[in-house]
Amino acid sequence: MADDDIVLSLRDVTITNTADGAHLVRGVDLTLRRGAVLGIVGESGSGKTLTCRAVLGILPPRFEVSGGEIDLLGEDVAGLSARDWQRLRGTEITAVFQDPASYLNPSIRVGKQIAEVVRVKKRVSRKAAQAEALALLDAVRLRNPARVYDQYPHELSGGMLQRVLIATAVALDPQILIADEATTALDVTVQAEILDLLLELKERTGLSLIVVSHDLAVVAQLCDEVLVMRGGEIVERGRTDDILFDPQHEYTRLLIDEHNRYGLDRFLTLGTVPDEMKELTGVA
Amino acid sequence: MVRRIARLRSGRLALGILLVVLVLAVFGPALAPFDPLAGTDAALAGPSADHWLGTDYLGRDVLSRILAGSTVSVLGAVQVALIALVVGAVPGILSVYLGRSFEWLSLRLVDTLIALPFLVFAVAVTALLGNGIPQAMFTVGILVSPVFYRVSRAAALTVSRSQYVEAALLSGASIGWVVRKHVWAKVLPPLSIALATTMGAGFVVVSSLTFLGIGVQPPAPTWGGVLASELQYLSYQPWAPLVPTVLIMLTVWAFNLLADAVRDVTGEAGRALTRPVTTPVAPVTQRTA
Amino acid sequence: MSPDAPLLQVADLDVHYGSRRSRTQALHGASLDVFRGETVGIIGETGSGKSTLARAAVGLISVSGGSVTIGGEVVTGFSDRKWRDFRRRGVVQLVFQDPLRSLDPDNTIGASLAEPLILQGRASRSEIADVIRTHLARVRLDEDVLDRLPGELSGGQRQRVAVARALVTGPELVILDEPVSALDSANRVQVLEILADLRASGVALVFISHDLGSVAGITDRVAVLYQGSVVEVDVTDAIVNRPQHDYTRLLVGSAPTLATGSLDRARRDELRSLVGAP
Repeated sequence: MADDDIVLSLRDVTITNTADGAHLVRGVDLTLRRGAVLGIVGESGSGKTLTCRAVLGILPPRFEVSGGEIDLLGEDVAGLSARDWQRLRGTEITAVFQDPASYLNPSIRVGKQIAEVVRVKKRVSRKAAQAEALALLDAVRLRNPARVYDQYPHELSGGMLQRVLIATAVALDPQILIADEATTALDVTVQAEILDLLLELKERTGLSLIVVSHDLAVVAQLCDEVLVMRGGEIVERGRTDDILFDPQHEYTRLLIDEHNRYGLDRFLTLGTVPDEMKELTGVA
Repeated sequence: MVRRIARLRSGRLALGILLVVLVLAVFGPALAPFDPLAGTDAALAGPSADHWLGTDYLGRDVLSRILAGSTVSVLGAVQVALIALVVGAVPGILSVYLGRSFEWLSLRLVDTLIALPFLVFAVAVTALLGNGIPQAMFTVGILVSPVFYRVSRAAALTVSRSQYVEAALLSGASIGWVVRKHVWAKVLPPLSIALATTMGAGFVVVSSLTFLGIGVQPPAPTWGGVLASELQYLSYQPWAPLVPTVLIMLTVWAFNLLADAVRDVTGEAGRALTRPVTTPVAPVTQRTA
Repeated sequence: MSPDAPLLQVADLDVHYGSRRSRTQALHGASLDVFRGETVGIIGETGSGKSTLARAAVGLISVSGGSVTIGGEVVTGFSDRKWRDFRRRGVVQLVFQDPLRSLDPDNTIGASLAEPLILQGRASRSEIADVIRTHLARVRLDEDVLDRLPGELSGGQRQRVAVARALVTGPELVILDEPVSALDSANRVQVLEILADLRASGVALVFISHDLGSVAGITDRVAVLYQGSVVEVDVTDAIVNRPQHDYTRLLVGSAPTLATGSLDRARRDELRSLVGAP
């Protein structure tokens, strides 16, 4: 193995729909280093989600990786059996998606669902699993972990549910977390909370993150490196600042332009907000 | 809607059969070649040039009796549907708009109607109002009205919570306006389906009742009555009950076909709302037939 | 009524939902003034009560405290009949978020546009047709949409029909509840441009949205709604660049932007604990 620091690498990956032979992802290369945050930006149909699903070994039926290589923690995933995937998912690589409610059982208290994952995968006692689940709910900064533990999914807001999902995702100390449009359905302040939480988890545990979004600004908030995808291909890649301030591809320019026109940016006097914040923290 | 139904093959077939039945109901008595009540010496005769369908046990012309009886049979079914429409559908729509107390009262009344045992109610009404087709049909109409109440209430309820009704109210629309302009068009499709189904069911009920001798007293002719008298002489003329039976079956089938066609042309909304219609009607027909 | 008095005055409005046993308070003493000809944005998140505020202002939900005054008339406590007469004057109109739901699917666009005018009962048939044509042009739609059903139009066209419908009675105030949230970016721009025209024509607008970015461009003032109360009202530039309330600061500081890059997490955390976010 060449570089111990690289947790995930894709080389020239092509994903094909075997039903009609269409190549939906073509020649994707990417490298994720330990503790790094990689962003993937693209609209729906750009192939960003398919790429993530291939990495997680959960491509939809009739889709397959027809070319290239995916290297996950030094293992070529092409040779992995269903059993191997079961071992890897959760413990080494995990993901959170857009609609957290659909990943929880509506009739079981959320704490119990997390504890069950911990108990089965870590083979600990019920009591230890419960304690760990509570600690996890606390770690994702839910205000009242003990209360949330005993609540049902429908009693929680979208932001709280996404926290619960993140708690479940990091329960087994994975090395890689993929957040695929994880904040898309959330209110703007809640979105910021979740993004902040992901960064905090990364700093605390050395997690490597892949953040996938249609919104360039979301990705720009927390990524060191950004890939811009369109129509199944990567059209531009680079350090976040380079992409934002010196975009090369016209599609990237279009994304930035759109944001400048309809985002909050054009109304913000540059630098004002951070000043306000400084003032505030000075007071507090 | 009729044009769209006529575009379906099943719809055309249903409309065609029902048109024939309608012609029979209107002109049947006039078309009868003999007096349906006048007996002759030739009792239980087979088909002949004079009597196409033969004669019954009193020597009456069967064809004339069937033709003459069609008016009563069809009128009965129409009456059932109309009573159910007025007693069921109108309060069903109003229950959404006339406030809490009317809603509560009408709902409890409908519950009561559903709980009533059919035969007991029928006997009670006959005892009160006398034995006749209108009384019997009134009973049946009342008993199927909960179906209409529920179908129209469900449709009206969905519409009343819609934003376009709110938008109309915000323009100063009255309840009457909202019902006329917005609710009615949404209640009509499921209601027509219920209507067609009920007409079919009502037809079976009229035939069953007259078969049993309730409602219409002999010697007045009806389809069910003809069937009943033919059945008694099955061993002499095994083919004889066939004609009234096929007539009844065809008519009911046509009504059901029409209900299906209405549901098909009115799409998903109608489809979702038809389901409750078939179930409550079925027990009624089972109990009577 | 004096000319300086607000066109819409919402004072200390309380709204409760649910039955006696499980009552939740959706509005908590919310207050807001909208003056003639101005455009006011109402910003708030899911559950902040912004739609409730709009619906309570036009009498679609009953209030449990406070008052709403429109054009000098206290409308809270109106009977059904008084509301009907008041609404037929067409002084205030509401545009809903989803035009597919706010237009009757069985009525043609022409019928939907004519409805408010027919209910007013003042104009003749040809006058109504004229008014409709004028307002279709105002929202940049062709006359051939008149015979079509809502389902046959695109989302952007439908929302423009909904705006036209709100305009036919010549209202002094139009309340728009998330008018562009359900639209893609091209249609959003088109509707926003129409609203900008409208603003220039002197109609007072209340623009409700969860997205400060889409509101900031066309509003004179912005009100920030948080947990059922208006926590801050100020001119738009001040809200965006000099927010005073902690929640407003958090809202502005949470909006993903390209220009400011990563905001300081610690500062946001500070604000969160100050506003008591869950």
